[in-house]
Amino acid sequence: MQPSEVISVNIWQILISLCNLLILFLILKKLLYKPVKKAMADRQQSIDDRYSAAKKAEELAEQSKAEYEDKLKNAGSEAKSIVKSATDKANRRSDKIIADAKEKADVIVKQAKNEAELEKKKAVADVHKEIVEVSAMLTEKILEREITSADHRDFIDSFIKEIGDENDGNK
Amino acid sequence: MKKKSGLFRLVDVLLLLMTVLPIVCGMVIKVLTKPAAEGIEISGAGIFFTIKLPLQDLPITESQVNSWLVIVSVFFLCLYLTHGLATVPNLRRQHLVEWGIEKVENMVNENMGEYFHNFVPFVAAIMVLSAFSSLLTLVGLYPPTSDLNVVAGWAVLVFFLITYYKFKCGPAYYLKSFAEPVAFLAPINIISEFATPVSMAFRHYGNVLSGTVISVLVASGLQGISAMVFGNLSGIIGEVPFFQIGIPAVLSIYFDIFSGCLQAFIFAMLTMLYVSSAFPSDEYEERRRKKLNRQKAAS
Repeated sequence: MQPSEVISVNIWQILISLCNLLILFLILKKLLYKPVKKAMADRQQSIDDRYSAAKKAEELAEQSKAEYEDKLKNAGSEAKSIVKSATDKANRRSDKIIADAKEKADVIVKQAKNEAELEKKKAVADVHKEIVEVSAMLTEKILEREITSADHRDFIDSFIKEIGDENDGNK
Repeated sequence: MKKKSGLFRLVDVLLLLMTVLPIVCGMVIKVLTKPAAEGIEISGAGIFFTIKLPLQDLPITESQVNSWLVIVSVFFLCLYLTHGLATVPNLRRQHLVEWGIEKVENMVNENMGEYFHNFVPFVAAIMVLSAFSSLLTLVGLYPPTSDLNVVAGWAVLVFFLITYYKFKCGPAYYLKSFAEPVAFLAPINIISEFATPVSMAFRHYGNVLSGTVISVLVASGLQGISAMVFGNLSGIIGEVPFFQIGIPAVLSIYFDIFSGCLQAFIFAMLTMLYVSSAFPSDEYEERRRKKLNRQKAAS
């Protein structure tokens, strides 16, 4: 192999070198620049897409949030009204129950009073009857003699009175 | 980060192998064909064979072969970098690629404007080809950028682009632009028009070649100094060029890595500036607006 001149101009070599640069340009463009640029553009696109999707979702969330807040506000007043109506109802019902109970109690008390009254009356009548019987017995037993009807009456009356007093004192 | 499947890993490894393989091939070819240089020798690219063509014979040289190897390597590197590309990046290489593309995009937008957003892969191609070609010196290969023909080819392409954008407002406007600011400066304008690609080509080529030349000179000089200092010592110690250890590496960092990348950046920068300044954007906008108005009026 022999060396060429340090400075030598050759048209064909220049042409070949020119083509070499063009070929390398095409190689870099097709194999490196285009694919990488495409990947970068795709990435940008996907990032943009995601951003817009996120923005949309955010808007949607904001909207539904407002909606729910609105609903929540209404729900508060609604709950209040429900509670109020329920309380009213309960109040009314309890009032009614109390009134019923009172009525019933009154009836019971009245009945009891009546019964007691009746009992008392019966007792008094019983006592009277017994007293009369006892007095009759007493009169028969103690006084085997003739007594005037006036004496008789006085005696019985005073006796009854005594017993009645005794009864009252026992009470 | 997702766990990679076995097949994915296999393809990854294959692509990386195919990226490295051309460079290794280049090294093997060089070892097989080029004899070791004796002493100071600064020469152009080695010629493998010559193809007979009209006008001028085409020698297939190291610079041609090496730039093809770079293209093949970059081709597989691109495949590797875009392998496993996802909408949501889960690979480190995708972050790297996106970072790089964004950097180039920002550069193009700042220097050329929004109208030239199609130039992003072209500018990237210039930078990649130039930088990788210059960096071939790191593995001992002949850098194609130190061959004038290679860089001239790129400069000619840039010249075509400049002319194309100057023609955007019609041939009349293009011809008129040579008479700016005054008519009698037209010859100078024409010269400067052709000087643009020539200066671009020579700047790039000269920088890379001069780096090589200086490296070779310094290396041989250091060999001489070591021979002077240690030459009197007997045995093997006297023959080892101690000064060649380490010092050329510092130069290599500057000339091979820094200068190579810088020249790639400069070439891309100049391309952007020349093309964007060649495009008469104000005039073009005005014409387009007028055309739109005319269309509106007609319809």
